[in-house]
Amino acid sequence: MEDQLINLKNNAVSLILDAENKEELEEIKLQFLGRSGTLTTLIKELPKIPAEKRKEVGALANEVKQTIEETIKSQITNLKFQTSKKIRAKIDITNPAVLPPLGHLHLVTQAIEEITEIFRSIGFKRVRYPEVEWDWYAFEALNFPPKHPARDDWETFFIDEKPHSKYGPMILTPQTSNGQIREMEQTKPPIRMLDIAKCYRRQSDVSHAPMFHQFEGLVVDSDISIAHLKGVLDFFVKSYFGEKRKSRIRPYHFEFTEPSFEVDITCGVCLGSGCKLCKEGWLEMGGAGMVHPNVLRNGGIDPEKYTGFAFGWGVERVLMMKEGLKIDDLRLLYSNKLEFLQQF
Amino acid sequence: MNIRIVDSHLREFLKTKASASEIAKNLSLTSVSVEKLEKIASDFVYEIEVTTNRADLMSVIGIAREASVILPEFGIDASFMPPKYLKPKVQGNEKIEIENDPKLVKRICAAVLEVKIGESPKFIKERLENAGIRSLNNLVDVTNYLMREIGHPAHVFDFDKLGGKIKITASQGGELIETLDDKKHRLFAGDIIAVNEKGEVVDLLGIMGLKNSVVSDNTKRILLFLDNNDPARIRKTSMNQAIRTEAAVLNEKGVDPNLALDALYRGIELYEKYASGLVISETVDIYEEKPKTNSIKISFEKINKLIGESVPNNSSATILKKLGFEVKETKAGLEVKPPSFRVNDVKIEEDLVEEIARVYGYHRIQSILPPLKAAPPFSLTGDSFYWEDRVKLAMKYWGFTEVLTYSMVSEGLFEGMTEDALKIANPLSVDLLYMRKTLVPSLLSVVKENKSTENIKIFELSNIYQKRPGSLPLEKLKFAGVVKGKVSFFEIKGLIEAIFEDLGIKNFKFGKREDEMIGADTLIDNQKAGDIEILDDNFIDFELDFEQIVKNASLSKKYSPITKYPPIVEDLSISLNENIATQEVIEEIKNTDGLILDVSLIDQFANKRTFHITYQNPSKNLTNQEVSEIREKIKRNLTDKFQAKF
Repeated sequence: MEDQLINLKNNAVSLILDAENKEELEEIKLQFLGRSGTLTTLIKELPKIPAEKRKEVGALANEVKQTIEETIKSQITNLKFQTSKKIRAKIDITNPAVLPPLGHLHLVTQAIEEITEIFRSIGFKRVRYPEVEWDWYAFEALNFPPKHPARDDWETFFIDEKPHSKYGPMILTPQTSNGQIREMEQTKPPIRMLDIAKCYRRQSDVSHAPMFHQFEGLVVDSDISIAHLKGVLDFFVKSYFGEKRKSRIRPYHFEFTEPSFEVDITCGVCLGSGCKLCKEGWLEMGGAGMVHPNVLRNGGIDPEKYTGFAFGWGVERVLMMKEGLKIDDLRLLYSNKLEFLQQF
Repeated sequence: MNIRIVDSHLREFLKTKASASEIAKNLSLTSVSVEKLEKIASDFVYEIEVTTNRADLMSVIGIAREASVILPEFGIDASFMPPKYLKPKVQGNEKIEIENDPKLVKRICAAVLEVKIGESPKFIKERLENAGIRSLNNLVDVTNYLMREIGHPAHVFDFDKLGGKIKITASQGGELIETLDDKKHRLFAGDIIAVNEKGEVVDLLGIMGLKNSVVSDNTKRILLFLDNNDPARIRKTSMNQAIRTEAAVLNEKGVDPNLALDALYRGIELYEKYASGLVISETVDIYEEKPKTNSIKISFEKINKLIGESVPNNSSATILKKLGFEVKETKAGLEVKPPSFRVNDVKIEEDLVEEIARVYGYHRIQSILPPLKAAPPFSLTGDSFYWEDRVKLAMKYWGFTEVLTYSMVSEGLFEGMTEDALKIANPLSVDLLYMRKTLVPSLLSVVKENKSTENIKIFELSNIYQKRPGSLPLEKLKFAGVVKGKVSFFEIKGLIEAIFEDLGIKNFKFGKREDEMIGADTLIDNQKAGDIEILDDNFIDFELDFEQIVKNASLSKKYSPITKYPPIVEDLSISLNENIATQEVIEEIKNTDGLILDVSLIDQFANKRTFHITYQNPSKNLTNQEVSEIREKIKRNLTDKFQAKF
């Protein structure tokens, strides 16, 4: 009986160590330790052994059982190690990756997203107003004189529809400033608006597309001053272009603001010291100003009680200025060549 | 509009030690932008962009006055040396007869001179050339020199070619004229012209002189003519005839009529010096309606409030005085009268604030964020922009590329009857003629433009425009996409379902297209929300109404307790007539019993469809007996309703 047990143990251990996978080990376990396994069968015969030897053989049988179980356990660990070794040997991590689907958002969408977040962080509410608009909202209410060049059909697209008896001809918005009047009609001060929309002008060349985007800011409250306009401007410039960039305002002229400003930012290449790419260290970004009292009045706001500032800048323009993308023809943005769009 | 100012000319009226680059820099910061400073020989030229409201700065004298005010603010001494003009001596008794129409021309100053034509002196020639004006002869050069120095356009006629009395009138339209650059023009109605006694047009006022009255080598007597015209008519004529002379550009901005007589006197002085000029007529000055100047009152409080900085009261007053304003200081503020050259520009308190603030220095004003005193409540669910960004991002991560196409389309890309189209009256080209009513055609044209790309997945979220009689069009946000390449209808259906699922839209379904095209309509709450169109085996598009999506999108969350009792799942194969829609069968099975958690189609072959059914009771273990009862009920129902066989 003892010999039988020892043989069995040796046999089992060698089988276990030869096993190459978990399934084989399961089988071996069944073969020896299963309900009708060889060890189980042997143990069942223990009572037949004379009483004085029974205890000793019993202890041996137990030991054999333990050895088999432990060897199986250690072989499982061993097998795991072997497998991982095999996998490791098989992987060439320099082989091409398998990517999840990944598309592209339009450059202009990406810029709009960033601009929106920057202004949202200082309390600006994003809105949207008509792109097809009455003259009143795009020009007249914004204090444009009747014969202003922007109002003639050299610069602005007109819609072939009957003019409104009160609001005049129907046009495509040449700037987002109609949003100023629309917002003032809807909202009582305090106003903190960001209007980002498509605009249209009768121009098509390397630096102008007939459709483009502007973002218009409007702040109206009691005691709004030039200092506040400078504050918002600096915040935007440092957020969008980087902390090293500076901004300044210079006198300019617009019909709908008084005073009016041209906004410059320091050149991203020379940071203001002057280089070939800029004008004495500065780049023009766009217009801004304190809302003209006539415009406030036309929006239904009392200019004696409230003041405000407004700005309107080109999304494409700030995008180009930020990234230094030397896109040789702005119209490429809307030509929808996938080879172009999928670069970003 | 840009103007070139010569430094040596400027310093005749501006006494300062400031260098040209200091002048350029400080003008840019506080007045008008000096775009370029050019060194030419021993001189400098400022190329200045003058804004339309500052026609007074389209001159050497204007810039000199402005610089003299600005430079001291930067700690540089400067003073303005205004010119003095003397009434000329008259040495003849020639008569000038001019009949004016004050509605067309505000002021006319003129004199007849005997002259000798020849070359201008070197300094005039050089200054003109550096200022971007071609030097011709002393007679013409003087008019240009005047214009640049004083800012009032001037014209010189050969007096003997005029033919006596001239009358200022508006053209009838159709008159043929030949300008002095040998070009012929057909006039429109309403152009300002001068007609002589024979009825010949001898001048197109404010724009350009005419061939028939121009000075030539034989000219002995000239009429120096300063006309101050109605700016709107000048703009119209200049644009209609495409003649953009500097005089026309200046005149359309509005020139101070008070400069006309100065310019006449200065012109006479120059002719006397450089063309042996003798005045042989009394000088004429026709000036019927003088512009009115109103005084403007402003409080110091208003000045400081709008600037956001305390500007000392006396600084405000001094700045305005130096700029040529009449200023009366009171305890609370200022009473100000603008000079004649600023009356069109400075009319209200805010205009005065601009003058004070810019000269005081915008760089000296602090930079602070406006205080946020109140804000309306913000609803993320109601914010279309939020959902737009979310859908755009989903599309990006599903491998789509976003395109932005023009809102204007050609007739070919306009879907529907062009009578329903919003048409552009003055298009740039026929490709951009109508405001689009759908997005898909634009996307299809993108696919066409990218012919060589085999697999294309693009989308756009943009407005479309629906014409509404008598009012602005309805601008609706649409979401459209096109897939070309390996694609099935069910992938696009799945894409839309996934978006709806992500946006919390539950009450949607797909139905047959209303228009009998191949594809499906998408319905939310039984309302059409868009459609899918199968163009080809490997070419599918869709377009959805994004407003309807936003209206139904939801961020609300609902918790169902996690059940402890496992579900029982089984597959059921059914023979069904092919005309019966799978969705109807699924609905029918689902409605059989409340313990059916989910039903889906897992296989379909000929008329055999296999459904995967999940049963679950959240409050106890299901028994086989219970499931088999439900199964039998399903079979009965399907047999009754659809003649199904099992």
